[in-house]
Amino acid sequence: MNNYNVVGKRIPKLDAAQKAMGRAEYIQDIKLPEMLYGKILYSRYAHAKIIKIDVSKAKALPGVHAVLTGKDVPKKMVMGFYKDNPPIKKGKVCSFRDEVAAVAAKTPEIAKKALDLIKIEYEELEGVFDPEKAMEKDSPLVHEYHKSNVLKLPWKLHYGDVEKAQKEAAFVVEDRFSTTWVTHCCMGTSGAVALFDAYDNLTIYSNTQIPSLAQKDFLDALKAMGLENKRARVIKPVIGGAFGSKLDTYAYEHIAILLAHKCRKPVKITFDRSEEFKATSTRQPAIIYIKQGCDKSGKLLFRDIKMILDNGAHTSWGATTPSVMMMPITSLYRVENVRYSAKCVYTNNTYAQAMRGYGNPQATFAIESSMNMLAEKAGIDPIEFRRINRNQPGDITPQNFKITTCGLDLCLDAVEKELKKNDSKEQGVGIGVASLIHVGGGARIYKSDGCGAIIKMDDYGKVNVFTGGTDMGQGLDNITAQIVAEELGLLAEDINVVHTDTDVCPWDVGAHASRSTFVAGNAALGAAKKIKKKLLKFGSKILDAAAADLVLRDRLIFVPNDPEKSMPIDKLLRKTHFSPGGTMLMADYFYDPDNENLGKDFQGNMSLTYTFGVHGVKVKVDEETGKVEVLEYVAAHDVGQAINPLLLEGQVYGGVIMGLGYALTEEVVHKNGEIMNANFRDYKLFTAKDAVKIKAPVLETADKAGPFGAKGIGEPGCVPTAPAVANAIYDAVGVRIKDLPITPEKVLAALKEKK
Amino acid sequence: MKPFKYLSPTTVEEAIAFHVRHSQTSKYIGGGTDVIVKVKGGFLEPDYLISLKKIEALSELHKNEATGELSIGAMVTHATLEKSLMIQKEYPIIYDAVSNIGSLQVRNMGTIGGNLINAVPSADGAIPLIALDGVALLHGPDGERSVEVKDLFIEPYKTILKSGEILKKITIQPQAPHTGSAYIKFGRRAAMELPLIGIGVLLTVNDDLVTCAKARICLGVAAPTPMRALDAEIFLVGKKIDEKTLIEAGKIAADESKVRDSVRGRAWHRKEMIRVQVRRMGLKCLQMIRNNG
Amino acid sequence: MTTKISFLLNGDKISYTVKDHWTLLHLLREKMGLIGTKEGCGNGECGACTVIVDKLAINSCLYLAVEADGKTIETIEGLASTDGTLHPIQQSFVDNGGIQCGFCTPGMIMSSKALLDENPKANLEEIKHALAGNICRCTGYIQIFESVEAAKEPVVENKGGQNE
Repeated sequence: MNNYNVVGKRIPKLDAAQKAMGRAEYIQDIKLPEMLYGKILYSRYAHAKIIKIDVSKAKALPGVHAVLTGKDVPKKMVMGFYKDNPPIKKGKVCSFRDEVAAVAAKTPEIAKKALDLIKIEYEELEGVFDPEKAMEKDSPLVHEYHKSNVLKLPWKLHYGDVEKAQKEAAFVVEDRFSTTWVTHCCMGTSGAVALFDAYDNLTIYSNTQIPSLAQKDFLDALKAMGLENKRARVIKPVIGGAFGSKLDTYAYEHIAILLAHKCRKPVKITFDRSEEFKATSTRQPAIIYIKQGCDKSGKLLFRDIKMILDNGAHTSWGATTPSVMMMPITSLYRVENVRYSAKCVYTNNTYAQAMRGYGNPQATFAIESSMNMLAEKAGIDPIEFRRINRNQPGDITPQNFKITTCGLDLCLDAVEKELKKNDSKEQGVGIGVASLIHVGGGARIYKSDGCGAIIKMDDYGKVNVFTGGTDMGQGLDNITAQIVAEELGLLAEDINVVHTDTDVCPWDVGAHASRSTFVAGNAALGAAKKIKKKLLKFGSKILDAAAADLVLRDRLIFVPNDPEKSMPIDKLLRKTHFSPGGTMLMADYFYDPDNENLGKDFQGNMSLTYTFGVHGVKVKVDEETGKVEVLEYVAAHDVGQAINPLLLEGQVYGGVIMGLGYALTEEVVHKNGEIMNANFRDYKLFTAKDAVKIKAPVLETADKAGPFGAKGIGEPGCVPTAPAVANAIYDAVGVRIKDLPITPEKVLAALKEKK
Repeated sequence: MKPFKYLSPTTVEEAIAFHVRHSQTSKYIGGGTDVIVKVKGGFLEPDYLISLKKIEALSELHKNEATGELSIGAMVTHATLEKSLMIQKEYPIIYDAVSNIGSLQVRNMGTIGGNLINAVPSADGAIPLIALDGVALLHGPDGERSVEVKDLFIEPYKTILKSGEILKKITIQPQAPHTGSAYIKFGRRAAMELPLIGIGVLLTVNDDLVTCAKARICLGVAAPTPMRALDAEIFLVGKKIDEKTLIEAGKIAADESKVRDSVRGRAWHRKEMIRVQVRRMGLKCLQMIRNNG
Repeated sequence: MTTKISFLLNGDKISYTVKDHWTLLHLLREKMGLIGTKEGCGNGECGACTVIVDKLAINSCLYLAVEADGKTIETIEGLASTDGTLHPIQQSFVDNGGIQCGFCTPGMIMSSKALLDENPKANLEEIKHALAGNICRCTGYIQIFESVEAAKEPVVENKGGQNE
């Protein structure tokens, strides 16, 4: 058992009191002197040519400082890795959320009025809203210059020999699954405040999860504006939820920058809720064709998956979800022969970004549903089927992922035990399980997977940790504080974690892939180790003891069992500082995990370790109405080591409830490219009354690579929820729903068809 | 929001006088949960909002112990009805309906009268009042008149109220003994719902506790306005209330309905839910009657 | 189109001349600088703007400022005592993981307070019913329920005397 003093403890979130008092400042609360308010005008059509824009009346409205249209955007200012997304569109619009103009005015009301005064003449074009239709020869082209609606992306892999394996398989199942648009619904809506100083250096306040990469994007934007060699400072306010929505930079940020530069005043753009639904990006929808096969004994022989992804009108990270979907496809369970291809297709719909799980939930829905179908065909119990094929420590998967710690078997045991406690075979009641694999030790998706930390320790034994990481409510502040406090013998409340300012904080690739605990944690730990070394050196001198004999704990430095050799740490620091040749305590560390980029064939150990989990659910299906009630839910995860069990539970519970919404009730309803439910009344995320009780056993396999053995947990909670529920429904009433969300209509329709 | 002037009359006459003076550009406001949403959205642009909040007579919830008549002032909030032990015990169909309108915050502000006037097809407030044969008392520039709640609605968002008319209260006559009533709001999730379908059933049986004397089957979101499934009601009267007759009643009610597809749900599923829930609510009523002896 | 109102705000008597079309939320945030109350949707569908008026939880985004006249209003800023001690509900949310990003928190705490002030022994079903209008995307609600449960006044058990 660990004898940790701070790590492993249920320490409340360090900024919770501020938030409980209403004192936390979110982007909505920021007010700067002379600040103007920006508002964006969106397209009135899914697909149309812009014939004429008349902004004269808007410009003339008193209180309006600037009006921008597509022609005011520098040619080289284009967003997204595919570079198909200028912040204000010119010439034509390809979706309802296309930005066509923007205004900066003295008050939000004047800005809104000005938008109403902008007259645009459109010529409507035929739109395409189905990605499979968009692939056909005679489909309208979303972007004429692109010559095809299919994006030029390399998502294709084949390991082993799938054809041969299929011939040898005793049992094969083949099916089509689909997931639709769901969205983040951060309670704090999007927004940014941009301002320039007298020398054209930019400061921008934004809810970004990628401060360093955002800084790069904004420097590129400045360059495109003809502002070379300038500084860009990104400051994060308190973030009202992110869940992946802020992993890219957005039009509203670029527009705020353009307006701020034009007006020579700070410009704030914040979204109202309707805009948040309509103009931010969703989870990537997917059409999944999957074939899996096993031998007579239940050993998986092959997995063959084709996907068609609705890319929408412009490209953000949704188009890269295949690179993460490969993870469960090649590495969830042991399967030697794997083939996968994904096509991303332009349509005139909205487009997708990163969202918690980043493609893993979609792929896992298909894989884990299909696994149950295969198990049934082979006549094997679904849990036993998973045991037969489970990953084990030491495995190297076809994608070359090196599985170090793996608690999949422990998770299966924990879930089976819980689910089979009251094994009453009541009518309409069923159980289902699904597993997950997710990166748990960073994720090298960029040239660097690193994070920097700088530690400054003052004369009072208080520590400031400047980290490149981002806290968006998930608790990176606590994790950092607990890791550093543990290493330095302090308490969590002695540590102040600063993550908010690129002028002060070191580089980090971003708060994604559940990597914060692992990478930012290791960065902080690395810096803390350096400080510890210095502390022990000072202590050894002042207490006249060997450094190896000294212990740091509870704010003291001491030799155990020697009451003479003990001193409060802060006293030690002052003695060391205020003496000839005095020194102060600072240390920095850049941790870039020794993982690998995916090669041309997509092989590479993307993460230093992988998080595993199993979810189990018991449902009751009302066979007359199709309504599915979740009776019990157990979510077991192998997390390495829980740095803070209280916050870890928060991540699991939050992830599961979000995942259940994704499975059962959430859908951004589109009709010919237009979003029909852009409000909380008709977008059905779970309310307090829908919440179910969740058991969250934590399996600790103490991964060597993680800080104090920890692996990531931010995303796993929402990855296998949908297939677990789908499998449970099948167990209950014998129907399998393959298209999310699993609504009462779909269940009832399937039940009627079965009859 | 577009600016407006807020007026606070203390009597119905004063309110009507204000309205007559500014009839084209004024709107009455009750709790505000519908009107303010509409003004914010630009769907309403009144120059004057005439608040009914200070008119005390409109906020009375009162059961006359002598006559058994229940009087619900139009400005009684949903939360007041929800918390009333008398409503919970004696008018469970009202309780079922109002306790799930919006959220508690909305119910603390929103009024039963406002809900009726707003005339949404989902009509959680209207259904129970129709089932109870409620009568609305209207007062306008031309004086007072009574209208049965079931006749208030013309089409979505439109009632028969003339310009300047105020809904003052709804009166409900005492129900016969051996009466049970229940309402279900069927939606995708447990709260904050505009329902896929709303079904209210009220059954009165004879002293034999099984023969139907009166039936009210009221449906919300089954037609442009709240409707009664009259054929199903007629079918039940005089028959023995049991699983079999309720199944048949449900079928008839479903066939009578005018459900359609919408963002919130599909027509065929709504029809199925009518069939299923009429039966279930009917059984619930029966159980209630048996429990009360 | 202005009206002079006076009301009690977190125990203080306030007089203000408001524009008739201001919501209470607008008055609190934009005019009085009390940013604790949040706007999550502006339409009464999320509860982030919840404040307490005459003991009832309401959505301040739909409540007109003029109607605050003569009322007793409580916002999140008024919960902690003057010596800085958090209200038991605030403390409980802090201690039990009820707060992650914190955006829903002021509204969630005010709804919880309105509930427990009226029904100090509220059970889980009643807690869920009262909080149904407060959306949280981070916590999955479970630790919020635990926070409210833990904030309830402790049940004093009568151990009774037992003479051996």
